[in-house]
Amino acid sequence: MYLLSILSAVLLSVKVPVEPDTTDLRIEEVTVTAVHRHQNPVASLNSVAVEAEQLNGQIPSSLSKGLSSIAGVQASSIGSGQSRPAIRGMGFNRLAVIHDGIRHEGQQWGDDHGLEIDRFAIDHIEIIKGPAALMYGSDAVGGVLLLSSANRPHRHAGGSACVFLQSNNLLWGVSAKIEGEKEVVSRNAKGGILYWRLNATYQDYADFSVPADSFEYYSYRIPLYKRTLRNTAGREADGSLMLGYTSGNWHTSLRVYETWAKSGFFANAHGLEVRLSQIDYDRSRRDIDLPHQSVNHLKVLCHTAYSRHHWGIEVNAAWQHNLRREDSEPVSHGYMPTPPDSRERQFGKHTATLNAAAKWLVTPRHTLRWGLQGEVQHNRRSGWGFIIPDFEQYGVGLYAGEEWRATRGLTLNAGIRYDFTHTDIHDYRDWYPTPVGDSAVHKLRSASLARDFHSFTWSAGLRYRHEGWLLRANIGKAFRTPIPKELGADGINYHIFRYEAGNADLKPENTYQADLSAEWGNEYVRVQIDPFAGYSPNYIYLNPTAAYSEGLQLYRYTQAQVIRAGGEAVLTVRPWRHMDIQVQGEYLFARQLSGDKKGYGLPFSPPWRIMPEVKFHWLKESGFAALNVRICGAQRDIVPPEKPTPGWWTLNLSAGQRVELQDCALNFTLAADNILNTKYYDHTSYYRLIDIPEQGWNMSVRIGVEF
Amino acid sequence: MQIMRSIINRALAANKNNVFFALSICAVIAGVAACESKSRDTTPPVIDEGSFLPADCDIYYTGDTMQVHFVCSDDTELGSFNIEIHNNFDHHTHGTSAVDCDEEEGGEHEHDEEEHHGEDESHDHGMVEGAWVFSRDYAIARGKTSDTIDVAIPVPTGVSEGDYHFMLRLTDRAGWQSIKAVAVHLRDFVE
Repeated sequence: MYLLSILSAVLLSVKVPVEPDTTDLRIEEVTVTAVHRHQNPVASLNSVAVEAEQLNGQIPSSLSKGLSSIAGVQASSIGSGQSRPAIRGMGFNRLAVIHDGIRHEGQQWGDDHGLEIDRFAIDHIEIIKGPAALMYGSDAVGGVLLLSSANRPHRHAGGSACVFLQSNNLLWGVSAKIEGEKEVVSRNAKGGILYWRLNATYQDYADFSVPADSFEYYSYRIPLYKRTLRNTAGREADGSLMLGYTSGNWHTSLRVYETWAKSGFFANAHGLEVRLSQIDYDRSRRDIDLPHQSVNHLKVLCHTAYSRHHWGIEVNAAWQHNLRREDSEPVSHGYMPTPPDSRERQFGKHTATLNAAAKWLVTPRHTLRWGLQGEVQHNRRSGWGFIIPDFEQYGVGLYAGEEWRATRGLTLNAGIRYDFTHTDIHDYRDWYPTPVGDSAVHKLRSASLARDFHSFTWSAGLRYRHEGWLLRANIGKAFRTPIPKELGADGINYHIFRYEAGNADLKPENTYQADLSAEWGNEYVRVQIDPFAGYSPNYIYLNPTAAYSEGLQLYRYTQAQVIRAGGEAVLTVRPWRHMDIQVQGEYLFARQLSGDKKGYGLPFSPPWRIMPEVKFHWLKESGFAALNVRICGAQRDIVPPEKPTPGWWTLNLSAGQRVELQDCALNFTLAADNILNTKYYDHTSYYRLIDIPEQGWNMSVRIGVEF
Repeated sequence: MQIMRSIINRALAANKNNVFFALSICAVIAGVAACESKSRDTTPPVIDEGSFLPADCDIYYTGDTMQVHFVCSDDTELGSFNIEIHNNFDHHTHGTSAVDCDEEEGGEHEHDEEEHHGEDESHDHGMVEGAWVFSRDYAIARGKTSDTIDVAIPVPTGVSEGDYHFMLRLTDRAGWQSIKAVAVHLRDFVE
């Protein structure tokens, strides 16, 4: 199946990377690091790399879903076309997504909000498992997703295009890329290279199908028309542009990315609510009726790097505009009259980011690193539903770290960081009056609030390589600044039909974690074990209470002590030069140690997973065929309003062949997912709460050409 | 199928380190788990169907009193409840509608389910002028695992007659929720 290629990426990453030996090479690597690959600059961190070639060979309909075939990475799907990523069960604002050196800022708090990034414009992905607050600041609690589309073309002119199809949701998509570079001579006769790239992607999918004729929710039996989930269709259009110039020690580039996606929400139950509607959802499988969501994400980024002798400097500046809109049929509720239109929520968020980093190779064994990161967020809401207030947020972070190559095999690193965040929340009053006594008032929801947050974090780690061994160990503190929703929410979340109340007194959430990664291998066998354990004295948790507010159950943000532990293991065997066997496994455990939910786990906790795979490859790995099984345990460690989810397994097949022609190369990939058409529930899926099973049998085809 | 099973088994058997690792993690967790209380509530409260009032298709008159009666229980501790009444004038019979009481035929139409026809306030396609809206939260005394609830709700005069939905939402202390919905009819009281 498509995940295969990613698995093989894991396999590749498991191979012992070449450690540069001389200091010059080291500097070289530092520069390249900043611009191209190996984005993770901290030697001891546990990172998994996925190359563009692997990405190109797969056919997932969203980026996170493709990555979920890596142990330790999960995806929560929102229907068939969008998903949001999680690392070791930590998603939402506990995962930092860094796109070309800039933190991707959307409305990450939403459980129905996918990641707004074109997967075809990404060349290289690195997944840092475990906290990485030192370099990435707030949110890097579960881990970091480093996405890079910064590879320089390295050819005069070229490109690629592909067509992809999926049977389950009748998806069709096209993606194309053209790129090139040109040598130019500047006035002082120093040669430089100008390069450019254009990407465009479009996909359109229909309601997805499940192996069921009906399903039961809240003792309702909801019949499904032709075994499809009505109104889960969607579309996505992405475009990006990169212009760069490199000369000697200089490298600078400008990039613009635009992502647009629109998708429907399942019609019969929105959130926890059973919905009745006059809309004839069954007239077309491809149309998007209410309720639906759409999102536009525009990112403009400027990157500059300079290196000379023992110095390297990198500056990234970016502006992002995330415009999200969620529409549903206007209906009255309580004292709220029928709203005039379908615009339930709209969020417009601008984020300006400036990151500067410097490196200094003090001696051949010592590297010092400093950084300054600044971010301004400006958020405005509209629509008849109130969930997050208008706000402005200013943050600045400063860090310093040192790396010491103690011996040839042993590298130690340590660092400290300070962050300051100021959040200004605007008050909000209902747009309709509520009778109080004899009069009617526009009730105050979120009160205006100004808060300052200070966070001091540190981390230390080691990396040790000896013969076939690679050990990486880290200990450190990570943090997360409370987001305005957690501070200022005060109203009905119509997507899930509950009353959500923020808590203006929340403190920054701190996490102390230790993790270890041990790898051993030779050319036939490789074993990797990555355990971790962490403690948070003040984990921010949306606690379902026993109380009611305005007719709906009250959920209130609180902080609780939480411990988390778990890890991943990967075993790779190459019994024959044309065959690889790999087994990946992951396990997570979480407990709340204080507060109302003492003894409970955390919401959206993924159960254990084991993913064995057998892969055959031939002709210098130009062709492959693979059989993959996904086995997922039951999840009974639940918190309200979750439901226990039974375990499941699916069988998946994939095959691909690359054909080199005179001027171009053709890539064919064929994948069959869930070939036994197993009906199963994914505990972390958005639709799990309303008992909607996952996609049934799915056949994917991808034909690509490179020229 | 057999082949696949054996592949899984072999893969698992081959992956001894994996298993060993999982086991060692499990041991740590078992330690933690042993220390924690076993009283974690993982089930929602139960609303007894037997003696529940109002019943589907019950008719009430304006100025009358609606007697609400039900027995509820929870394996750990009950929380609180909310009663909500709103109009169902547009008879949302599309798709998943549960009970539709038709006066002329004097019975229930055949539909998929009798209870829980949703927290249907979302489907009143508009707040109708003169329609009765009722919503009130009620506490249940702390420490109870079962309770018999009797609430008398006066039906105001001067509200529009027609079909209404009666909604009961009940929580337990842990925050699990159960919902019951009943279709009732309201008529103008004429001397």
